Amino acid sequence: MTPGAPSRMSLNSALDVLARRREDQVVVSTMTVMAPWGERAGNERDLRCVGFMGGSSTLGLGVALAKPDVPVWVLDGDGSLAMQLGSLLTIANAAPRRFLHVVFHNGVYDTSGAQPVLADASMSFAKLAEGAGYARAARFEDAETFDAALDELLEVDGPVLVELMTQPSGIGYQRRPAATAETVPAFALNWPAVRDSLAGA
Amino acid sequence: MTSASEARAVPAADFYRAMVDAGITDVVAVPDTHVRSLITLLLDSSEIRFIQAATEDEAITLAAGLMVGGRKPLVQIQHAGLYAGVNHLRGVAMDGAFPMVFMIGLLGRDPARAPREHFESLVRYAEPILDALEIPHHLIDGPEGVGLLATAYEEAEARRGPVAILVGEQTS
Repeated sequence: MTPGAPSRMSLNSALDVLARRREDQVVVSTMTVMAPWGERAGNERDLRCVGFMGGSSTLGLGVALAKPDVPVWVLDGDGSLAMQLGSLLTIANAAPRRFLHVVFHNGVYDTSGAQPVLADASMSFAKLAEGAGYARAARFEDAETFDAALDELLEVDGPVLVELMTQPSGIGYQRRPAATAETVPAFALNWPAVRDSLAGA
Repeated sequence: MTSASEARAVPAADFYRAMVDAGITDVVAVPDTHVRSLITLLLDSSEIRFIQAATEDEAITLAAGLMVGGRKPLVQIQHAGLYAGVNHLRGVAMDGAFPMVFMIGLLGRDPARAPREHFESLVRYAEPILDALEIPHHLIDGPEGVGLLATAYEEAEARRGPVAILVGEQTS
């Protein structure tokens, strides 16, 4: 580690902290975290943000406003949130009560070849959220501290943003398979199942 | 070329009543001065929730989230917002197969001229872009057109995709 540089937790250790608390929340995931999250704690209330980078935060907001008694977690990326920074204002003003916005701040566009995001470690998404008007925002550099703080944060009337300093996953660029005439976009298959799981909730 | 008849303003109260009658629960909007009188009614409404977004991208995903939660939103933007939000319109509403209805204000439109014959690009490209995206659209050019709102929802449900209502003259 470079002297003076922040320490960073692994993505998997961060996801483990969240997975241990998975119950009936709607979880909106995107980009690099989708697969490891699904392996750990996926269920019928997982919304996977595929095909519209940056949209996870307000997609989650919409669910939270429709179903205010159902907790919503958004597992966002730093590059994704950078594309829709205005969503911090939209979320803060809508003030969803049970809304946890997790930002994995690893400093790179993991899925496109690890090019740098215009947000190095000196830049703080937690401070942006705080300035935008989130009820609470906090930044964590290790999974143990995050684990110790999370239960209290989940009790806060939201919105709450948690910025997790994580290591790049190293998955590298993966070429997507070309669509065929029979291909149905993944999101079209995903969201109706989540809607059905929420009926009556 | 001009319209067969000049576009006339729809009273905001007429639009509002059509929204309630169509069962709209939420209006997700990036404020559009073209329909400001309607927004004033919506802000005071106890029947329809008005939710403001910072960008059109956000308005589209927010509306999608509301639909996941069983609500019936309307996305209310203006033509510039249509141009700004095309990728989310494609990725969310179209590829996601959401029966999402858009109300798009044609700010600055000359009421005597058909939108696609307009001199200003801001107005002229709205219908051609919707055509390119294969999104059905309806122009409301007077009070008699408000029923198209309910029609748009029926059409969106039938095609499992977006439908647009274009507001031709600013609401009164």
